[in-house]
Amino acid sequence: MSSDDIPAALVRRLRTTSAVTDEDIKAIEALPISVREYPAEHNIVSDGQKATECCLITRGFCARSKTTSEGRRQILSLHIPGEIPDLMSLHLHVMDHDLTTLTACTVGLINHETLRLLHRRQPNLADMFWRDTLIDAAMFREWIVNVGQRPAPARLAHVIVELRERLKVIGRIEGNSFEMPLTQEQVGEALGITAVHANRVIKQLRQDGIVAFHRGRVEVLDEDKLLELAGFDDRYLHLSPAL
Amino acid sequence: MPRFHFHIEENGRLIKDEDGQEFLDGEKVRKEAIATGASIARDAFMAGCACRVVVDVRENNARFLKVSITLDVQEDGED
Repeated sequence: MSSDDIPAALVRRLRTTSAVTDEDIKAIEALPISVREYPAEHNIVSDGQKATECCLITRGFCARSKTTSEGRRQILSLHIPGEIPDLMSLHLHVMDHDLTTLTACTVGLINHETLRLLHRRQPNLADMFWRDTLIDAAMFREWIVNVGQRPAPARLAHVIVELRERLKVIGRIEGNSFEMPLTQEQVGEALGITAVHANRVIKQLRQDGIVAFHRGRVEVLDEDKLLELAGFDDRYLHLSPAL
Repeated sequence: MPRFHFHIEENGRLIKDEDGQEFLDGEKVRKEAIATGASIARDAFMAGCACRVVVDVRENNARFLKVSITLDVQEDGED
């Protein structure tokens, strides 16, 4: 990946979801970003760590999670290229959760001071990043409803549809299939169920002809059934700046 | 590391665990089986699609432990 491609997914996402101007895009593309590669299942920033830079994912999948004192991990959100999952560390300096790679990842590190200067110079971009963190919070609200109220098959269906809608924005859907590189254990951690129960739910969705998991990808077999099971309404993703 | 298979029965309908999972110790297997049974039972009972859930855990085809969870609701006016 050339360094010019580093903000590509971010720019693509912002063009769809925010009211950015060409001047904003130019400023983002001119940001000094240092690139780092991480292996799968590696903490990029850990709970309790003091952060001095924000991480822009340019390749691979990440998750945010917290682990209880008994060692049980809850995955809080999934992240894809073009997202800055630890944007809040710009204002909340000590991490209150882990940011972990699910697959091998390329990450662009943007220094906090650089971001602060950018925000002062271009308040439109500051507003846009603020909006980003608010959408982040809206997604957490939906995640809480999902884990707290939906039965396990509907929980998985909802996570699948949400991920697909977000991958769509950055052009990462091929036909009826897309990447969802989670192990059964990680699916369990995302849904708040055991790995064995996650395995059972994945099998059930396959048997019911709704979705099939294969080597880190999801194939949608029946769109209508999937949407009905998920009870999905994309309003919380605030995908359009006009809404 | 020993490998355990968690076969699940809902109202007698068997869903085999072909893959299995590795666990370091028996206590972790016991907890996984109980938590799995309880969360599957919660969904099945609420949906009304089963009233008995069994998690049959096997190590190399030999029974390691079995967790059975049965729904028993007694409404007023019934014996």
